[in-house]
Formats: sequence, C-alpha cells, structure tokens
Amino acid sequence: MIHSQPQALPLGDSAITIKFGSERSPELLRRIHGIARSLVDARVPNVDDVVAAYLALTVFYDPLEVSYQQMAARLLAFCEQAADLTAPRVRSRNHVIPVRYNGIDLDSVAKATGLEPEEVVARHVSRSYSVDLLGFVPGWAYLSELDPSLQIPRRPQPRPRVAAGSVAIASAQTGIYPLDTPGGWHILGTTDTVMFDPARDQPSLFTAGDTVRFEAIE
Amino acid sequence: MITIDKAPPYLTVQDAGRKKSRSAGVPPGGAMDSFALCVANALVGNAPDMAVLEWALGGGSIRFERDCVFALAGANALAALSGSDVAPCTTTYARAGEILSVQKIVDGRFLYVACNGGFDVPLLLGSRSTYLPGRFGGARGQTLKTGDSLVLGAAVSAAPAAGFHCAPDLMPRYDGGILHVTRGTHYEMFDDASRRTFAESSYRISTASDRTGYKLEGPAIANSLGTLPSEAGCPGTIQVPADGAPICLMADAPTVGGYPKIAVVSEADLPILAQRRPGDSIRFELITIEQSQRALKRRASDLNAVIHSANRAPRD
Repeated sequence: MIHSQPQALPLGDSAITIKFGSERSPELLRRIHGIARSLVDARVPNVDDVVAAYLALTVFYDPLEVSYQQMAARLLAFCEQAADLTAPRVRSRNHVIPVRYNGIDLDSVAKATGLEPEEVVARHVSRSYSVDLLGFVPGWAYLSELDPSLQIPRRPQPRPRVAAGSVAIASAQTGIYPLDTPGGWHILGTTDTVMFDPARDQPSLFTAGDTVRFEAIE
Repeated sequence: MITIDKAPPYLTVQDAGRKKSRSAGVPPGGAMDSFALCVANALVGNAPDMAVLEWALGGGSIRFERDCVFALAGANALAALSGSDVAPCTTTYARAGEILSVQKIVDGRFLYVACNGGFDVPLLLGSRSTYLPGRFGGARGQTLKTGDSLVLGAAVSAAPAAGFHCAPDLMPRYDGGILHVTRGTHYEMFDDASRRTFAESSYRISTASDRTGYKLEGPAIANSLGTLPSEAGCPGTIQVPADGAPICLMADAPTVGGYPKIAVVSEADLPILAQRRPGDSIRFELITIEQSQRALKRRASDLNAVIHSANRAPRD
C-alpha cells in the first residue's frame, strides 16, 4: 500500500518517526524522499533534521520547545498536504563519478558472477542509481539498484580498513566509502571525488533522492 | 593553553554535539553525559554547551600553562591539584604551571573537565566534538596523547569564586538502577513474551560497550523480525539483533540501522546509563512519551537552577 495513512510514533523524546508503509518499493521511497525534501524546503517550525529511509522518515526536534503531540499533529498535517501534490517538486541532483576500475575485488567478482572483468565494469557503469539512504558512516550512500547479474552477497569477513574513495558492491546495492572504515563490500575501483568533508556546509556530496552514474577512467 | 602531562587511556574534546547533520549520516556525538557537560561548564562561567574534556578508563594528568578556572563533573574521581584534593562539581582555580592529576575514577565512567573559555579547536558542523570513527572533530579527530597541547578559548564571562559548588540535590542520581524508557518504533511488532522479558529482566552492561553503543547481557529477547529495512535511530535506542542480546545506541552510533527497536531510553536518564560501567546491572521501566518529556523538562529546570546559582555566585 503506497498511499496508506501515515502513522506517527515517538523515537525517544526528540524525534518522531512517520511510517508510510510496510513493504519496500521504489515508489514508496520516492514519495518519502519527496516529503522529506519538502519538509526541509518549507522550513516547518521546529524541524531540526530529517532522515529519510525506506519505509519511514524521522524528524528531529527540540522537546523543550514543542511537545510530541503538537509536533506529531503538525507533521501528519504536512504529510497529508504533501500527498495532494501530484508530483512533489523534488530538486534532486544527478552526479557523475569518475572511477578507476582497478579494485582488489574486481577479479573475484568476475569469477563469482561468471563475467569478464571488463563486462563487470560495463554493467556497473550502465545504470543510473538512486541514492536510497544516507548513514552507516557519515556520507555513506546506499545506491540502488545494481544489475541483477552483479548481485553477490557481501564478503564473509569484513576488512578492518577500506580506503576512502573505494567504490564497492554488495547484494543489490553499490556505494562509495566516504571515510577509511571497516567494510565488507566488494571493491571494484576507486574515485578521487570527495564524498564527505565535515568542513563543507553540505558535508555529504549526495543527498537522499539524488541519482548517480559512474564513468570509467584510466 | 593546557598540556597533556600524562594521557589517560581515553581523553577527547566534546561539547553538545552535532544536532543537524543526521541527514548526511553524521551521528550527533557530543558528551556522553550531557548533564555533567552543562554543570561543569556552569561552574566555570561558560555557556552550557561549550567544549570540555571527556576523560575515561583510568588516571592521568594535565598541566595548566596559564592561570585557569576549571571544574570536574560526571564520574567521581580521586583528583588533586599540586597535591591538594580537588572536590567534584566545585569551581577550582589553577595557577600557570600547576598539574591536575586524576589518580583514578572511583565510580561512574566519564569524567568531565571544563575550563573557563572552553577549548579552541575547529568548529565542524556546528560542534567541536571529537568523532573517533570518522577521525574528525576535537584535536585532529583523535584521543589526546601525552605531550599534546590544547589552546584555551577566550573567557566569555567571569567564573564564580573558588569553592562554589552546586546543590547535590540538583544532580541526577547516578546510582539509580532503573532506567525509564518509551516504546521503540517496533515495540508493537515484538510478541508479548519478548516484551515481558525486556520489561521484567535485569541486564548487565557488557564489556563490549563504548561511545557507539552499550551491549547488554541478560535474558535474550526473542526477535522473529530479523533485520528490517533501515531507518533512523537515536542515542538511547535499544535495538535487538537476531541473537536477542539488546544493544543501546549511544552518542556516536550510526544514524540509521536495521535492527528492530524495542524501546528508547528517556533522555533524562541517558546520562545515568552513560555513566554505568561494564558489569553494572540495570532494569527498564516503560513510561509514556508525555511522562518522558515531562522528566526531561524537570531535568532542564534543575540544570537552569544550577546555571542561575552559578551566575549569582560571588566573583573573586
């Protein structure tokens, strides 16, 4: 049910999670991204931060300024209004990320998928991906959806350190490590694009709802 | 300036954290015991959210390179300034060259050292807090090591006279073994038996606990939900992985996750949980969101009373 009635629930004293459905779908995710962006654009009072996710969005607020009941009513009213818009005006951006496809897992991915390494690269660059969700570490974006022939489970043992800029795949998703972190995804290549910089006003290059393409470079 | 004379195993710069960057995947971070942060700052004449030192896991010492007003709050520690005991939650004056040494932390987990003027480290995303997993914030995103120096900020206002201390009855009771919680966003999806286990059992803080989360040991909470599509969590969220051993997310926890969320610790009680050590036992008591937000308001008004009494205290 894509247009089921949104339900508000407290997430502790300073956040409200609004659930929009129980089944993941690209349509539901787009609707949630649209509402999340319009909440930010409309400067709804007391909205400090909005985290959009697959089935729900979560709004953070200051409970010393406004109560849960007041804030929940305000947000549900906003969602109802937003549902009336046939096409929410979403100012999503399109990114092109240059990648050197020289990753340490390229050969093992080729073996696991039964494809030549060049074909793995060709299929990785063939699609436009949507930024589903940000999280896990600052600036990490879950991008979907990967070509079905490239979908393999994550590595059984995560590596203790994966370098920032590593472009990787696991299951139906792809992503770019924004920081040096532990990680269990298969690394296809590297990019010099800075995904996350805490000194920038907008620290993360991607925002939920953006689209991303990869481009192979030497 | 201050210099780390002998670094404790854990020492970082923290303030009230980053409240508005979760959409970019940045955890709020900040002081694990937000109440102690505010009290320590009030005692030295700082704004409540200024940067302080967060100290844990053992003793160490710091040297004041100039005259400085400081105060300790949070965990109880055996501390001395040039050989004289330093009382907790008390405005204390150090002379240039004096050494504050902490022999050990006696109870609680995180000790806070506030200095008049705070610490002059770069402001990133509205905060000076150290975020260790991302290696940014505070002093180069790392724990402070022996020999490191930190520049003190310019004093924003005069500190109370030496010996000022806040009324003990305004401080949270860190020894309370019961933590209030509200229902988590997946509470309704757990079955009756799981909810009863959670509400009626006693849990021990595991040694696997740090600024990202406290793992809890005790009766397993049956989780037939597996992993759900990721959504936002917050510090205090108690999530239940497949093995049934709950984890309470803390300040540096990732902003989103897929484990079902059974409950969320009331913000008023989060400092109490933060100060529990591995091995300590806790229980949970469910309250409504209205009760929880009222408790938070009482906590805020206690804190305001501390700030007002510090503001009205005589100056030297």
